[in-house]
Amino acid sequence: MYDVWKNALAEIEQQISSANYSTWFQDTSLISTQNGDIKINVKNTFYVKQLQNRYYDIIKKALENNNVPVKTISFEVQTTNRHKIRPREITKDTSINNHLNEIRNSIHPQPKNHLNSSLSETGLNQKYTLDTFIVGSNNDLAFSAAKSIIDSPGTRYNPFFLYGGPGLGKTHLVQAIGNELIRRNPNYRVFYTPISHFYSDFIDSIQNGKGKEFNRKFQKLDCLIIDDFQLIVNKEKSQEEFFNIFNDLYQLNKQIIVTSDRLPNQIKTVDERLASRLTWAGAFDLQLPKFEDKCAILRAKAEQIGAEIEEDAIEYIAENVNTNIRDLEGKFSTILLMSEVRGLTPLELIQNGSVSVDTTSKMRPVSPKQVVEKVAKYYDLSVAELKSKSRVSHIMLARQVAMFLLSKELKLSTNKVASEVNVKDHTTVMHGIKKIEKSLKLNFTLRDQIEEIKERLYG
Amino acid sequence: MKIKVTQEKLSKALNVVSRIAIGKATLPILNNVLIRVNQKKVSLITTNLDMAVEDYLPVSESEDGVITVPAKLLAEFVSNLPKGDNIEITSKDTKVTIKSGQYTSTINGALADDFPELPEIDEKNSVIYKIGVDEFKNSINQVMIASSNDLTRPALTGVFFNTYDKNLAIAATDGYRLAEKKIIDKVESEVKAIVPTSSLQEVLRSISDEVEEIEISFNEDLVRFRLGDVEIISKLIDESFPDYQKLIPKNNNISVELNREELIRVTKLAALFARSVGGSIVCEAKSPDIFSVKSIANEFGENDSHIETKVENAGKINLNSRFLLDALNALDEPDIKFEFSDRIAPVVLKNKKSKDYTHIVMPLNS
Repeated sequence: MYDVWKNALAEIEQQISSANYSTWFQDTSLISTQNGDIKINVKNTFYVKQLQNRYYDIIKKALENNNVPVKTISFEVQTTNRHKIRPREITKDTSINNHLNEIRNSIHPQPKNHLNSSLSETGLNQKYTLDTFIVGSNNDLAFSAAKSIIDSPGTRYNPFFLYGGPGLGKTHLVQAIGNELIRRNPNYRVFYTPISHFYSDFIDSIQNGKGKEFNRKFQKLDCLIIDDFQLIVNKEKSQEEFFNIFNDLYQLNKQIIVTSDRLPNQIKTVDERLASRLTWAGAFDLQLPKFEDKCAILRAKAEQIGAEIEEDAIEYIAENVNTNIRDLEGKFSTILLMSEVRGLTPLELIQNGSVSVDTTSKMRPVSPKQVVEKVAKYYDLSVAELKSKSRVSHIMLARQVAMFLLSKELKLSTNKVASEVNVKDHTTVMHGIKKIEKSLKLNFTLRDQIEEIKERLYG
Repeated sequence: MKIKVTQEKLSKALNVVSRIAIGKATLPILNNVLIRVNQKKVSLITTNLDMAVEDYLPVSESEDGVITVPAKLLAEFVSNLPKGDNIEITSKDTKVTIKSGQYTSTINGALADDFPELPEIDEKNSVIYKIGVDEFKNSINQVMIASSNDLTRPALTGVFFNTYDKNLAIAATDGYRLAEKKIIDKVESEVKAIVPTSSLQEVLRSISDEVEEIEISFNEDLVRFRLGDVEIISKLIDESFPDYQKLIPKNNNISVELNREELIRVTKLAALFARSVGGSIVCEAKSPDIFSVKSIANEFGENDSHIETKVENAGKINLNSRFLLDALNALDEPDIKFEFSDRIAPVVLKNKKSKDYTHIVMPLNS
């Protein structure tokens, strides 16, 4: 679309005097071409009438020559060139932002009012900042991409697609980008919304006959952040609307940020065109933190809240919480709270067994038999079929999932697992578990399936 | 097209409209003034595509028609004609003939077809305010000094007209200081619009002695100022202005009353020694009852001036002397209030009696 306008401009330039061209067309851009309703952005209202009355036909012809169907042409005033201006370098004692922040803090030591007002406008929560995002080997790539976006939004990493499991900091990172963009340039229009809110707003706007306004609101943005994209609904109209907004913003080099728990082509409900567009600029993942990363997170967290905790306790927690960062921080807070209540240090608490860090322990115990039954039922098999020697792939998969769960959840030995699912020996079991582990890394459907089985088991 | 008008009237009108049509535009027609005669109504119009100026000209005789003429040339020619003479302007095709007594000249004009059509304010969809001309002039001058000319932050290059608590207030900030003036109270309609400072300067220049009231109309993307026979239409800046109310500290524990002239004098003295440190001076409220202004320049020496006044809480703050002087010059009562709380919050400067003008200056880090 962008290039179309450049071509059209080149054609127009041939037809009119260069003074006229540079006066009337230099700062124009194409906002949208949807359904033949052409919208052109002009510098200010003074340009509207002239373009409408004197150049309408020339513009129409130039666009049609570039295969853009034209029904109507309208001219609007939008400040789209703002993103071309780089945010001014922030120096410590002179910039308004700093002063604004300082002053805000001094006026509202707890900036509650401000938080509320900014929430409604940008959807961002100011508690998410880059300073509090702990960088480790599990997220350094995504983090450096984020920094590059902050320095020059709408360029290299656009759209920025960030994916990873729950509780690994997706929301934190993308909201921190939004907050930092605004901090550097308070005029920057950023909007954060989970995809589900996007839909409900869209449906509301349609019901109230304000569909155009809805679209316009998004077109005015400099940066759109969509969270939890995997919840995208397969309703043609709303997905199409998102697709259009995405395209419009993309053409105008506005920064688009999308988070999801998996890659777009693994989300069943997503239109293929959209799926491929989302990862044009690559996809960045947040992985589970490694042991060292977890320790670093806990240390930073302790420093943040000014708590004292022994290094051994940190390592113990890091070693034993293997789900995600949210659980890690949750467990950590619980231990700190208990330590305060009981008057023991965190390490003492752990050593005398008052706290258990094993996240699985809260679930009610299940027997190996139940596991096998649930897995069989989930895959629409009888227990006998699952335990059979069949090499049919879906039965084999079910059998391997059962092995995996027996080993990981019930901590059975491989020999015991072998007897539970009726396979030859422990090597078959080891092979099966390895296979599942490997495909879990890539196959998000399988991940969902296993999560669902677990839910049925413990729920 | 034909008009007959006195030299004074024509010269005055041309002076008002020709300022924005002087030579900067790449499009030649923008350097012209459009003369339009339509059923005895004669107007002179110029535009630079950010704003347009139109002046209605009272004439004794006229024939309908439109033509454009290089504005600067016409203005200079007319201003050099003898005062009191009648001038007759006629056009044939693009030739414009100006006759006055024994002086005649013909200027090559251009057809009005190429002159841009200008946007208009739809009065039904606009909010309209009226304000006395002296009050307007004074208020704009008090606020405009705080606006920025940094084009990378367009929102700050204008004056923000906004209504709250039934007041129409105008405000400007460049990030280092902020000035606000409430100009009309008990307003019913609402407005939030940033008017470019350059347009306001043009409005101020166009005010003539016989104008008593200014009418300001806003619609979505335009503002129009009506002052007597002159109408100025300007674009608005399509940006959001910082939520400046939050920046004005409400509770200052240190408040000192000072004679404005005296503070200006000591600030100027201190500024002399502050040149090498970027104009940084230290203002300090000391008990008992001394307000001091100090500056130190390592190579030249130092300066310390005292003013006696009532001091309840002590404290000091570093300020840029130029910003302080601007603020003091914008205040207009003999006595003023100088309020602050600690070193990182800004200073609030107000007149002692009237509460409608507030000027805040950010402190420098010490």
